[in-house]
Amino acid sequence: MYRYDEFDADLVRERIEEFRDQVGRRVSGALTEDQFKPLRLMNGVYLQLHAYMLRVAVPYGVMNGRQMRRLAHIARVYDKGYGHFTTRTNIQYNWPALTDLPDILEELAEVEMHAIQTSGNCIRNVTTDVFAGAAADEIEDPRPWCEILRQWSTIHPEFSFLPRKFKIAVTGAVRDRAAIRTHDVGLQIERGADGQTAFRVFVGGGQGRLPHIAREIARAVPGRDILAYLTAILRAYNLLGRRDNIHKARIKILVEAMGIDAFREAVEGHFATLKRDDLRLPEAELERIQAYFAPPPFHPLDRHSPVRDRALLAEPDFTRWNRNNVRSHRQPGYASAVISLKPIGGVPGDITAAQMEVVADLAERFSFDEVRAAYEQNLVLPHVRLDDLPDIWRALDAAGLATANADLVTDIIACPGLDYCSLANARSIPVAQALSRRLADLDLQEKLGPVRINMSGCINACGHHHVGHIGVLGVDRKGEEYYQITIGGSPDEQAALGKIVGRSLPADEVAPAIARALDHYLIIRTEDERFIDTVRRVGPEPFGEAIYGTADATA
Amino acid sequence: MKLITGNRLKDGHVVYVAVDGGLTTNFTLALRLEDTDAEAALAEAGSRRDVLVNPYLIEVRDGRPSGRDRLKESIRAAGPTVGHSLDPR
Repeated sequence: MYRYDEFDADLVRERIEEFRDQVGRRVSGALTEDQFKPLRLMNGVYLQLHAYMLRVAVPYGVMNGRQMRRLAHIARVYDKGYGHFTTRTNIQYNWPALTDLPDILEELAEVEMHAIQTSGNCIRNVTTDVFAGAAADEIEDPRPWCEILRQWSTIHPEFSFLPRKFKIAVTGAVRDRAAIRTHDVGLQIERGADGQTAFRVFVGGGQGRLPHIAREIARAVPGRDILAYLTAILRAYNLLGRRDNIHKARIKILVEAMGIDAFREAVEGHFATLKRDDLRLPEAELERIQAYFAPPPFHPLDRHSPVRDRALLAEPDFTRWNRNNVRSHRQPGYASAVISLKPIGGVPGDITAAQMEVVADLAERFSFDEVRAAYEQNLVLPHVRLDDLPDIWRALDAAGLATANADLVTDIIACPGLDYCSLANARSIPVAQALSRRLADLDLQEKLGPVRINMSGCINACGHHHVGHIGVLGVDRKGEEYYQITIGGSPDEQAALGKIVGRSLPADEVAPAIARALDHYLIIRTEDERFIDTVRRVGPEPFGEAIYGTADATA
Repeated sequence: MKLITGNRLKDGHVVYVAVDGGLTTNFTLALRLEDTDAEAALAEAGSRRDVLVNPYLIEVRDGRPSGRDRLKESIRAAGPTVGHSLDPR
């Protein structure tokens, strides 16, 4: 993985000293809250319902054991012993004191982490495929490009005060595991006609109040020009995007208003006049960065693992976890293991300090010192030997981290909602917990197969409800929590927005309603048809009828 | 009735202006204000910007938050309804 050079280290140190001074002036009363707020936000510090919240960047979701241990240390010393992984593959601490924050940032800097660009109207932490460098279907590892984007975008002077925040996701495979078409810009690596890296570029995606699926703006931008092309997009957006209405300031609104062709023309105009040579990545620099992401020293192994096979025969719980949480790897004898942060009845994305230490230990011992954060609020050990899976499972199981539900119906994405967030209209977590408990039976979950349920506590859609196969949105009706259900959303290469299927429901009716929709799926599906494929075949309406009880129960 | 709440500057914790004029984290110890006195008291609280962040008024009835934001204010007063994530026993 990437290691800081002297420029990275100096930049982060200088930023901390600047922030320490700003905190000091705030505490002394020299700065008002209005003056301080934009400064703290530039350092990932929010003020939520109960306390300050620190959002720590995990660039493209990649961490090593030492970093995970430090995250655990921070949770234990400065917080209440846990952290929360987000849909941007970052980690949030819910309870830090303002006066501790400069020290926390120092602790992070020691392990090459920071909280820059986790807030504010700038280019946010770039996300990617959690199985980057491991997936068999990958055309090219997207992480070097993510790192290049990180270096290009970090405190970029032209793009530090955009009309609104700006999110970029990159996938190196045709199968989109990074939800690129729900991003302001989505990049899909392809092999260009010349055999070199090229990017298919999508623009104007986003969730929130006015959701949009990104449109293709360029079929194949050569890798050497990608920074110039992105600069052209950002420049067009910076100049043309609305600043008069926060709800209409994202690039998706601009693209929609102009039309993709007119926006493309504006971008091409900037692209033509940019001094591309200045933004062209020198071949040697690209190679230098790619070297950080070279494959780890895999051992030549057999595709089959007798050790695992024996454990599969002996331990049914391991067998289930192996079936649901282990993903194939490009390297024979290896796999990627999903660590679910969705225990039945737990808080989606939460992890305790002790659990973080277990994960750090497993990463160091079994996964070439690497662990990934997935936007689905889970963790992944990307490169583990099949032979080691039984030991990994036992260690996870002892730590309460072996829930065998990856991508199943209880692998629910949920934002913190009104339990923590000052923007929320309704709670998300208790509704997710109720649903998780109702659908806890793993035999049932496996029968249902992959179902993505996403839940947000307000229209800002941090819980990605628009692209859940089943989406749940909390709304406030005269001080009461209600929940709107959508069906048919999808975050992948067949990206789609879910359709609202009826009136919103009180909290306690959500889990039974979704259970009815799932029961209906089991009745009408064809053999081996996934939930989302059934929805695509029959439309969302039959599920609406099941949810609202208007269907003939015997149909 | 109304009371004044905000977040404590140094740690962000939820606080209320108390009967003795100080700040308390205990909702039940907050100073209850008649509606007619509330705005003046809020203005005074707003001048304490070295200890209190974003003070505002909330409605209370029968000793509990009321009005449109009653759920949010109840959660602020009592903490997350889901408790805290702990290690499995």
